[in-house]
Amino acid sequence: MSMATLSSQHSPGLWTLAWRRLRVDRVAMLSLAVVLLFLLTLVLSATELIAADWEVEVGVNYAPPSFVGAQSASERGMTEAPATTAETPPENPYDPLKDVIRQLRAEMANSAAPSVTNDYGIPDPLEKELTEIRSNQSTTSVSLEKQETLPLGADKWGHDIIKKTIKGAETSIIVGLVSALLATVLGTLFGALSGYFGGWIDDCFNWFYSIFTSIPYLLLILAVAAVLQQKGVTTIILILGLTGWTGVFRLIRAEYMKHKEREYVLAADAIGASHWRKMFVHIFPNVSHVALVQMSILVVGFIKSEVILSFLGFGVPVGVVSWGSMLNEAQNELILGKWWQLTAATVAMAVLVTAFSLFTDALRDALDPKLK
Amino acid sequence: MTNKVEDNLLEVRDLRVQFRIDKANTFDAVKGISFDIPRNMTVALVGESGSGKSVSALAVMGLLPVENARVDPASGIVFDGRNLLALSAAERRKLCGKDMSMIFQEPMSSLNPVFTVGFQITEVLRLHMGMSAKQARTRVIELLEEVGLPDPASRIDYYPSQLSGGQQQRVMIAMAIACEPKLLIADEPTTALDVTIQKQIIDLIISLQQRRQMSVLFITHDLALVAEIADRVIVMRHGEIQEQGDAQQIFAHPSHPYTQALLHCRPSLDTRPQRLPVIDDMMQGDKKTDIVLPQRTRGYAVGEQPLLVVNKLSKSFFSRVGLFGKKEFKAVQNVSFTLPRGKTLGIVGESGSGKTTVGLTLLRLHTATGGQALFDGKDILAMSRQEFLAYKRRIQIVFQNPYASLNPRFTVGQILMEPMQIHQIGANDQERTALAFQWLHKVGLPEASFHRYPHEFSGGQRQRIAIARCLTLQPEVLVCDESVSALDVSVQAQVLNLLQDLQDEFGISYIFISHDLSVVKYMADQVMVMHQGEVVEMADSDELYRHPSHPYTQALLGAIPKGMHQPR
Amino acid sequence: MLAYIIRRLWQMIPTMLGVVLLVFLLFNWVGGDPAYILAGKISNPEQIANIRRQLGLDEPVYIQLWIFINQILSFDFGSSWSTGEPVSQILSTRLGPSLTLLIPLTILETVIAIALALAVAYVRGSLTDRVVMIVCTVAMSISILVYIIVFQYGFAYKLGLFPVQGWGEGFAENLFHYAALPIIILLAVSIAPNLRLFRTFVLDEVGQDYVRTARAKGLSESRILWVHVLRNAAIPIITYVMSNLPALLIGAFLVERFFSIPGIGREIILAVERSDFPVIKAITVYVAFATMLFNLLTDLLYQAVDPRVKLK
Repeated sequence: MSMATLSSQHSPGLWTLAWRRLRVDRVAMLSLAVVLLFLLTLVLSATELIAADWEVEVGVNYAPPSFVGAQSASERGMTEAPATTAETPPENPYDPLKDVIRQLRAEMANSAAPSVTNDYGIPDPLEKELTEIRSNQSTTSVSLEKQETLPLGADKWGHDIIKKTIKGAETSIIVGLVSALLATVLGTLFGALSGYFGGWIDDCFNWFYSIFTSIPYLLLILAVAAVLQQKGVTTIILILGLTGWTGVFRLIRAEYMKHKEREYVLAADAIGASHWRKMFVHIFPNVSHVALVQMSILVVGFIKSEVILSFLGFGVPVGVVSWGSMLNEAQNELILGKWWQLTAATVAMAVLVTAFSLFTDALRDALDPKLK
Repeated sequence: MTNKVEDNLLEVRDLRVQFRIDKANTFDAVKGISFDIPRNMTVALVGESGSGKSVSALAVMGLLPVENARVDPASGIVFDGRNLLALSAAERRKLCGKDMSMIFQEPMSSLNPVFTVGFQITEVLRLHMGMSAKQARTRVIELLEEVGLPDPASRIDYYPSQLSGGQQQRVMIAMAIACEPKLLIADEPTTALDVTIQKQIIDLIISLQQRRQMSVLFITHDLALVAEIADRVIVMRHGEIQEQGDAQQIFAHPSHPYTQALLHCRPSLDTRPQRLPVIDDMMQGDKKTDIVLPQRTRGYAVGEQPLLVVNKLSKSFFSRVGLFGKKEFKAVQNVSFTLPRGKTLGIVGESGSGKTTVGLTLLRLHTATGGQALFDGKDILAMSRQEFLAYKRRIQIVFQNPYASLNPRFTVGQILMEPMQIHQIGANDQERTALAFQWLHKVGLPEASFHRYPHEFSGGQRQRIAIARCLTLQPEVLVCDESVSALDVSVQAQVLNLLQDLQDEFGISYIFISHDLSVVKYMADQVMVMHQGEVVEMADSDELYRHPSHPYTQALLGAIPKGMHQPR
Repeated sequence: MLAYIIRRLWQMIPTMLGVVLLVFLLFNWVGGDPAYILAGKISNPEQIANIRRQLGLDEPVYIQLWIFINQILSFDFGSSWSTGEPVSQILSTRLGPSLTLLIPLTILETVIAIALALAVAYVRGSLTDRVVMIVCTVAMSISILVYIIVFQYGFAYKLGLFPVQGWGEGFAENLFHYAALPIIILLAVSIAPNLRLFRTFVLDEVGQDYVRTARAKGLSESRILWVHVLRNAAIPIITYVMSNLPALLIGAFLVERFFSIPGIGREIILAVERSDFPVIKAITVYVAFATMLFNLLTDLLYQAVDPRVKLK
């Protein structure tokens, strides 16, 4: 009867073993790195260290990405709203008023320079101050001159796409993480109580469960969104979190029902453990990895739901950026041939969600390895 | 055993099988074994769990999972003159089910649950023998008759879930012999079945072997089981062959210490030594086995004051039927017995007899539907939960499954400390840790176990931890619910010795529940036989085994394999 | 069997009541007074007073609830707050287009996903398997919105292979002309998650003991997969597809909106945008009922398909 090496005092528990398995998995480590990168971006963005000035219109309207090159004046001109300068139409030699018009045009061209005298021929007493103000204006407007291209382009109003994408990431990740946390905590708590005690407690929770699951998830979200008039990140988090607990509930309830009958719980009962102790000291550590994986899955689902909600206009309010609202704008831009906002939002979202999903899969395998 | 032609049907040379556990580690399951299976012979391949016996059989059939198992190409498997490892997958498939077939341990999961029995057997007939649907169906009914399935004409359209375990195994056998194989491999075919059914299935396999002139490779962990049926015996341990040869030779004069251990470590029905011999005793050479240990006498003394008196204990389970009806399943009906201090009551029965339910109900892990259990005069079934908490110290239980009875997330230390913390034994955690070390020592485990997790221990070690957990409360009654049934024979003996030592030292009373009659006879002073929830017979153990009065007891005793009478 | 159905229907009643209560609480209580909500949208004060009277907003709560229940039982929710069209008519006319989209979609996506799942199971553990799974993950991480926008732009607008929007009169015209691109888009979106799920179901079966027995009998891998494994995997697959169907009605809402297909999904979005409570309430309640009935159907189907299960 031999034993494992007696040298180490502490032997590895579940989480240490799982971490060891994860470390070896290259795909998992890569996905984790990407996720951490996004989280870092989130922290920087939320603390306003970056992208805080996304609302400033630093680019010309629809500025294309740097690698594409600036739009020609005609491309831009076509897409701008009222023209800032009207092009002068060619002179008509047969026009009897052509001399008058020529004079008027000359005067208009000179109107950029403010007239020193007002209409009544009296010198303006505030003339000095006015000149000063005007000269200040011109200097500031020079520094606000809009760029022709931005690294990832600009949207319709000239906002920097990079900054919008970062802000969108902030919104999506916060919504995803917090609602997933809320839904998981609720689902785990309800599932534990329901699965462990059974009886009328189980009937009660099951009643709630069947109500919430009879209504298709999207429909439920839309209905709640219709009713809660004020929009905001908190509202979305509440909507998603309070409706999304059902999947976790069902799984955790099944786990508790299974573990309740296991001999180690019976043994705990035999030595006199209380209900509370059995539920949270004994069973929960055996079930926590399931809850963790479920939460990870929920994060992905909620990010996708938030994007759709924001796209439809039921999600974030107007002042907040979301990839969903970016996609909404992109819909119209595409017809005009401007594809950069669509691409930025799509790629950013795809990278985050893929990394998170791959990491979730790896996490699940590391926590509960089965020989495949 | 009649003389049979010594022509080798299967020749295995230097078989090596490796498993990949994860990216970095591999595990050698079979480390270079060689053996022969002659034609028309029954060869028994005996070994405990982890010995590699099943893996070897799967390697011969080509059924090892390709993802993580690797047969060393230098190995040789020659069947009927053909090198199996040199054949293509398609050629090998042609042999499977036709010239060589296999039956498995769990018939319920080995049959496809969504197809009828008839479909699954006709499939193999149509594939290998080219029969039409009609021909195959007729043949299947004949086969089912041959394997002893009652009413084959209607059972052919049954689904596996509609048959009992024994019937399912008969179906598996019919499927395996359908195409007249030369070799039938039976991998623990009776382990999952009740004792009385076991005998029937083994008899069936042997009669088929003789009638059809095929070879049988019978794989089992129980050497005693094959004493009556094997021509040759191969003993494996940890992936290597320890001993092989003619069956009579091996049973009469086992040369390898491990074989000796397998033969002698099991409690026999004839003797009851003070201690069971264990493998280590065998390994030290012949000297130990020659010493005849004094016999232990058992039985209830007259006039002993009982510690526990159980009267008409009943437990029923209810399930819902129809719209408003309830169905009652009487798991335990009117069970009564007494248990004095320091003595052992054995409860014996097959699966479904209710013996486990009795134990669980006494611990109040199930709520009894009727009856009383007087512990030192007070009815522990009628008390409130609060009152009973104090009694939990006095009556404890060791479960059957060593892998499920310890919380995988707790260290051994936490497992041992918890009961002491709940019942406030010891003034502080330091004292309790010292006590825990004491108990670990008492059950034969090193102190370093304290910081380890259960998954690092073997089955026998885990049972010791479970016993230590109970001991921390110093109970007066210990219910052993099939506590050694899941352990290998060699480990069983060690745990039984430990239990006996504890009883000798502390005077603990045991309620020893098991389906294994030899073990119960060894451990128990008085034996209670249960069948379908009721007590069928109760007597002092020597008396019961010598003169069983109830027909059911007689049937149980009759089913014990006999080839184990060794002159001592 | 009959006893089972009756008992299940009986058990459904508390849930139905619960749904009704939830919807009632949401819309009549949290939602607030329609006068306030519609203030900016309907200018006619008489119309608003009418609506308030219909809902019985000046009456005690239990009367309001009773009115609501009556509405449900009589299929009469009054008229839409925005278009004035009777809600029952809205529901009955929108069901057709949704189904024209969903039934071919469900059949196609299930069949394709099963075939692909079996094919992937055949090469399980290999590089192909891993690559396919990663491709699926990436495909699932792109929002459905992007699929719709890009496909609509590419195949309809630029290449002109399909109409950009719209719905027609005839069934065949609708099915092959207008519904074609939406169905293709939804197929593209659903293949990855379905493939992943069905693959899991199939692999769970492949690891079972009866597969080992089938190999011991000498059956070929393809027969094992297509006959033995599929028949077993069909059980969780059918359960999943059936219980998902009611959700699909709503799930297609994005496609319906983009392509202006007059289905239930699009109706919901319009109703939410316009705060058209009667429509939302009606759809929510009836879809919930449909889901419960579908669950019962699924369980009955499960009995038929799995011989191990006995009705209790």
